[in-house]
Amino acid sequence: MRFHVVKRDSCPLWKRLALYVGAVAAALVLGGLLLLALGVNPVAYYSRMFTMGMVGNKIAYKSFENYLKVFVPLVLTAVALSLAFKMRFWNIGGEGQFILGAVAASAVAFQAGPVLPGAVTLLLMCLCAMLAAGLYGTLAAALKVKFGTNETLMTLMLNYIALYFLTFLGETKATWNFFLDPTSARPIFVSFAKTVSFPRIPMGKFGLNVCVLFTFAVGALVFVYLRSTKQGYEIAVVGDSAGTARYAGMKVNTIVLRTVFLSACLIGLAAAFKVGTAGILSTNITDDVGWTGIIVAWLAQMNTAVIFLVSALIAMLQYGSDVAAATVSQVDSSFANMLQGAILFLVLAADFSTRFRVVLEGKGGRKHGA
Amino acid sequence: MEQQPYAIEMRGITKTFGSVVANRDVSLTLRRGEILALLGENGSGKTTLMNMLSGIYAPDRGEILVDGQPAAIHSPEDAKRLGIGMVHQHFKLVDVFSAADNIWMGKEKAGFVLGKNRYEEIAQTARRFGFELDPKKRVRNMAVSEKQTLEIVKVLYYGAKVIVLDEPTAVLTVQEIQKLFGVLRRMKEEGHSIIIITHKLNEVLEISDRVAILRKGEYITTVDTASTNEQQLTEYMVGRKVDLNIDRPVVEKTKPLLEIRDLTIRSDEGAVAIDHVNFYIRGGEMLGVAGIAGCGQKELCEAIAGLRPIQSGQMIHKGENIVGLSPKAILDKGISMSFIPEDRLGMGLAPSLSITDNMILKSYQDTKGPMVNRKKGKIRAEWVIEELGVVTPSADTPVRRLSGGNVQKVLLGREILAAPNVLITAYPVRGLDINSSYAIYNILNLQKEKGVGILFVGEDLDVMMALCDKIMVLCHGKVMGVVHAHKTTKEELGLMMTGALDLTNRYEDKPAGFARDTNIPPQQTPEKEEE
Amino acid sequence: MGPEMDKLGVVTTFLHNIVVYNIPLLYGTVGEIMVEKSGSLNLGVEGIMAVGAIFGYIVGCYANSLGVGILTAFAAGALCGLLFAVLTVSLQANQNITGLTLTTFGLGVYFFVGNGVKAVRWPAMNDYPAIKEGFADIAIPGLSQLPVVGRGLFDHNLLVYLGVAVALAMWWYLRYTRPGLRLRAVGENPASADSVGVNVKRMKYLHICLGCGIMGVGGYYMGLNMSGSFNSSCWINGYGWIAVALVIFANWNPALAILGTFIFGFFNTLRVSGSSLAAAFPGPLGWLAAVPSQLYQALPFLITAVVLVLTSVRKREGSGLPASLGLNYFREER
Repeated sequence: MRFHVVKRDSCPLWKRLALYVGAVAAALVLGGLLLLALGVNPVAYYSRMFTMGMVGNKIAYKSFENYLKVFVPLVLTAVALSLAFKMRFWNIGGEGQFILGAVAASAVAFQAGPVLPGAVTLLLMCLCAMLAAGLYGTLAAALKVKFGTNETLMTLMLNYIALYFLTFLGETKATWNFFLDPTSARPIFVSFAKTVSFPRIPMGKFGLNVCVLFTFAVGALVFVYLRSTKQGYEIAVVGDSAGTARYAGMKVNTIVLRTVFLSACLIGLAAAFKVGTAGILSTNITDDVGWTGIIVAWLAQMNTAVIFLVSALIAMLQYGSDVAAATVSQVDSSFANMLQGAILFLVLAADFSTRFRVVLEGKGGRKHGA
Repeated sequence: MEQQPYAIEMRGITKTFGSVVANRDVSLTLRRGEILALLGENGSGKTTLMNMLSGIYAPDRGEILVDGQPAAIHSPEDAKRLGIGMVHQHFKLVDVFSAADNIWMGKEKAGFVLGKNRYEEIAQTARRFGFELDPKKRVRNMAVSEKQTLEIVKVLYYGAKVIVLDEPTAVLTVQEIQKLFGVLRRMKEEGHSIIIITHKLNEVLEISDRVAILRKGEYITTVDTASTNEQQLTEYMVGRKVDLNIDRPVVEKTKPLLEIRDLTIRSDEGAVAIDHVNFYIRGGEMLGVAGIAGCGQKELCEAIAGLRPIQSGQMIHKGENIVGLSPKAILDKGISMSFIPEDRLGMGLAPSLSITDNMILKSYQDTKGPMVNRKKGKIRAEWVIEELGVVTPSADTPVRRLSGGNVQKVLLGREILAAPNVLITAYPVRGLDINSSYAIYNILNLQKEKGVGILFVGEDLDVMMALCDKIMVLCHGKVMGVVHAHKTTKEELGLMMTGALDLTNRYEDKPAGFARDTNIPPQQTPEKEEE
Repeated sequence: MGPEMDKLGVVTTFLHNIVVYNIPLLYGTVGEIMVEKSGSLNLGVEGIMAVGAIFGYIVGCYANSLGVGILTAFAAGALCGLLFAVLTVSLQANQNITGLTLTTFGLGVYFFVGNGVKAVRWPAMNDYPAIKEGFADIAIPGLSQLPVVGRGLFDHNLLVYLGVAVALAMWWYLRYTRPGLRLRAVGENPASADSVGVNVKRMKYLHICLGCGIMGVGGYYMGLNMSGSFNSSCWINGYGWIAVALVIFANWNPALAILGTFIFGFFNTLRVSGSSLAAAFPGPLGWLAAVPSQLYQALPFLITAVVLVLTSVRKREGSGLPASLGLNYFREER
C-alpha cells in the first residue's frame, strides 16, 4: 500500500488536545514499563513524583517552597523565550543571557547591598540583570539583522562564552573578585543572602517568595503585551509573515531588535530572581532553564498561559523525581530527564498528525473516477 | 495512420491543494515524436499537471499511462525510470555544484567514485546533442540560458524519451529562443516526445504539432497546430465572450491622481520586469491591466506600493514624487495596494491572525497609546463579513482557515475601508464564485463613484471589458497600448497580450501614456524620444 | 642536556595530550558534519555521545572486547540518529527542538543507566585486560621515532588512528564519491536532488544514523579516556557542544576538522598543562601561567562566533554551510 502526505488546513482544538494528552500518557506508560522492569511499582512512584512527596509530610510547605524555586526561573525564561520564538527568532541563548543576568545581579548585590536599602538594591539588581542579559541577546539579533548571521548557532556560541566567564569568576582567587569567599583558601562563591534577598510573605509556616508574585505579574503583562499592544501585534505579524509586515509598513529590523532585547531582558529578570532568592552565585546557576525553557515554550506553542501550565508540569517532573529518587533508591533522579525527553518526542510525533494528513493510495486509488 | 499507443496518456487527473482545485478531471495525450504545446494562462494548472507527470506531486485521482501501460509514478525517481524528464521553470539546480556534478548526482549507474572522466563525458553528451557546455563551471556563475541548457542536457543524459519544458522561453532572448527551437526540432527527429508549456501563441504556432489547452484547471481541448490560428487559440485560452451584465457607471473624471513615467523595474531574478512604462490614472476612473500573468504585474504593484525599488522613471501622486518613499508613507498618501497571489495568502495578510487582526494591519498605528484598538478592527471585520458575505465562524477566526474566496474578500474589504484615493487591486476575484465576484465589482464601482482612481489588474478579459473604463495591455513588461474598454474586442486584447499587436502609437498627437493635463511640470517631463 | 631533554619531553607530552584528549571532538565533529551535510541541524550531539559512551563502555567491558564496545557505541548513537530522523524527516518536527530534547534525553539515559549499573556492579576498566590492551598506545614504526613530534603524534591508541581515518574517509566520501555528491545535493537543495531521482528521505535517514553512530564512538572514547570512572559529571562534559562549534570552524570539511580538532585541542591542553609549559620555558612562555584557564575553554566558542560572523559578512562565497541546513523538506510544498 502506497501513501503520501498532505498538509492540513486546520486541526480542531479537541483533537489536538487529545493527541497531546495521549502523547504524555503514552510517555508515562513507557516510563511505567521501565519502572516495572526495575521492580518498582509505577503507580506508587508516579504518585510520589506528582505529589512531590507533599502528601502526609509534616514539612510539605517546605517542599512547595522548593518546588516554586524550580518553577519561577523556568516559567519566566520560557515566557521570555516565547517572545522571540513568536517572531521566529531562534534564541537558544537563554543559558548565556541568564548567566550574564545572574552575574550582573550578584555584582549589584555585593556592591550596592551594604550601602543601599534592601528594596532599592533588589530593584537595581533586577534592572542591571535585565540590561546585561538584554544587551547580550541583542548582540545576536543585531548580527542577524545586519549580516544575516545564523542566530541559532550564534546564540549557542554565546551561551558557552558566558558560561566560561562565569566559571572564570567562580574559580579565580583575586583581590578584585568580590564574588568569592575571602575567608576560604579555595575559590568558592560567597553568599550575599544576609545583605539582601527577596522577602517572603509569611502564610502560616509557608513563606511565599515575592518573586512568585512578580513572576505571575510579568506573565500577565507579557500576556497582555502580546495580545493587546501594538508591539505585540507587530511581533505576531512579523512572525507570521515578514513580507506582510513590510507590506504593512512595519520596520521589521527594529521590531526584531526590540523584541529580542525584551526577551533577553526577561531572562535577565529570571536570573535576578534566581540569585536574589538563592543569595549566591554558582556555576550551574541556570539549572538548564535556558534549554528547558526552549522546550517548554515550544510545547506550549508560545501561548503565555499554556507556558505557565507546562512549566508547572515540567517543574513538577523535575523536582518530583528528585523527591521520588530520595525514597525509591533503584530509580535515579535522571529518570525525569528521560521521561521529559520521551514526553517531548511523543508530543513532537503527535504534532505531525495535527499538521499533516496521510492519504492512503489503495489499489484503485488512482483509477479514473474512482 | 497506425494505431500506436500514446507516449503519455493522462486520464481524469484531479489535484487539490487544501481548498484550491489546481486540476479538475484533466486528460491529456502525447504522441510519440511530437511536440505538444500545453497552453493556458497562469493559474490554469499547467505546471501542476506536469509536476504530477514528473512525480513531484501525487494526483488525488486519475491515472497516467506510459506507452499504453498504466504507470505508477510516485516519485521523480519513478518518472526518470520511465523516461520522463522535466525542465522546471525555476531550475532545480544545486548552485554550488559544477554543471557535470548537477547531472552526475542523478545518474543511476555510475561508479562509487567520482571519476575525472565525468567532465569529459558530460561535455561529450552535450556536444552530441548540439550544446556547448563547460562541465566544470559552477551553476552560480552561469547565465540563465546556460542553466537552461544544463537542465536540458541533464534530462537528455538521463535518457528521457518524454521531455517536459515549463515555460522555457520566458527567460531567453529572441536568438536563444530560436536556438532552443532548433534543439527541440532535432530532439523530435531523434524520436523524443516533447511537451512545452507556454502562453506565447506565436511560439506555439511555430514549434508545436498539436496544442492542448487548459483553462482554470480544466482541460478544454487539443487541436492540431496546422489547422488553428492565434485567434482560435486565444479564444480557447481565455474563453468565449460572455455578456456579464456588469455595471460601468460613468463618473466625472478628475485630474490625474497617479502618473507613471518611463518606469523600469527589475524582477527578483534581475530580469527587466517592467520596461519603460508610461500610464496615468484619474480619479473616478478604472484602468484595467491585462496581460498574461507574470508579465510584470506583480512588480508594478509592488513598486507603486513602495515595496520594490525601481530601476528608473517617475511615479507622481497628485504632483508629488513617491519614488523612494517608505510603504508607510505611501499608504498615508492614500495609495492602497492589494495583490492576490496564486496561493492567495502570500501578500497582504498574516494567515495565522484573525480577520479582526488583519483588518487593522495597516491602521493599527493610527490610534493613540500603546494598545491595539481591536474594536475598530472588529467593527470593520463585521462589516466585511456582512457586506461581502464572508463565510466564517466568527471575526476571530484565523484567515488561514477561510476558503480562498473569503480570504480575498477580507483583503479587499480592508483596502476599501482604508478609504484610499488610489486603489490598486490585482486579481481581486481570483477563484471567486459568481456572486462574490459581483459583490466585489460593486464595491469597486462604488469606490470609483466616490472619485477613487482604480488600477485593476485582472485575468478575465470579459470582466475587464465590462468593468473598466480603459484597459492597458502588458506584454513582457512593455505596454502594448491602452484601449477603451467599450470599444475594444477580446480578440484585439488577446493579440496584444501575446505581443502580436502593438497599439502604443495609435494616438499620434501625444506621447502614449502621458496625460494632457498632467500634474508634472514640463521641465520634469523628459523629452519624448524621437526615432 | 638533562634539563633540555625534560623541556622537550614537556613539549612531547603536550602534543601527545592534545591528540589523546581531543580526538573525541573529531568523532563528534565528523559525525555532525555528515548529519549537517544532509541538511539536518542536530543539536543533540552531547546527548548522543553520552548514550554511545555509556552503552559502549558497559557492553564493551562485559564483553571484554574493545571491538564490541565500539560497535555498541556506534549502534547506540545510530539509534539516537534514527529517532532524530523519524521525528524530523518523516514527521517533519522542528530540528532545533528535537536536537535539544535528544540532549536532555541522552544525558538522562546516561545517568539513569550509569547509576543503575553502578548500583549493581560498575565495571572498572582495569578489570578488563582486553579493553585496556585494546586502548593501549600503538607506535607507528618509523614516524614515532622522530624527535619530539614522534612520540607526541605517532604513538597513540587505536581509536585515535581510527578517528583520523574516519575523518579522512569522510572527506574523501563527501568530495570524491557519487553518494557523497548526492548527499551534498540533498543538503544544498533537496528539491533539486529529488527531481533527479535522489531518494531524499533515504539519504537523510542513512547519513543521520551513520553520523550519529560516529558521534557515539566519540562518546565511547571519552569514557575510556576517563578509565571508565563514573561520577557526578558526564564524561562528555560539553565536548558535544564544542563539536557543534567545530563543524562551523571547520567549514563543514572533515579534513579541516582534523586541523580544527588540533587547534581546539591545543587550547584545551594549554588549559591543563599551560603551567607546565610555562615552567619549562619561563622566558618565552612564562606568561602562559597567567592566562585564566576559562579563556581556553571559551576560545573555541569565541573563535567560532567570529568565524560565524565573518562568513555571514562574506555571504556564501566558499562557505561549506549547506544551504538547506535546518529546513525540513516536504515535496508537495507549493
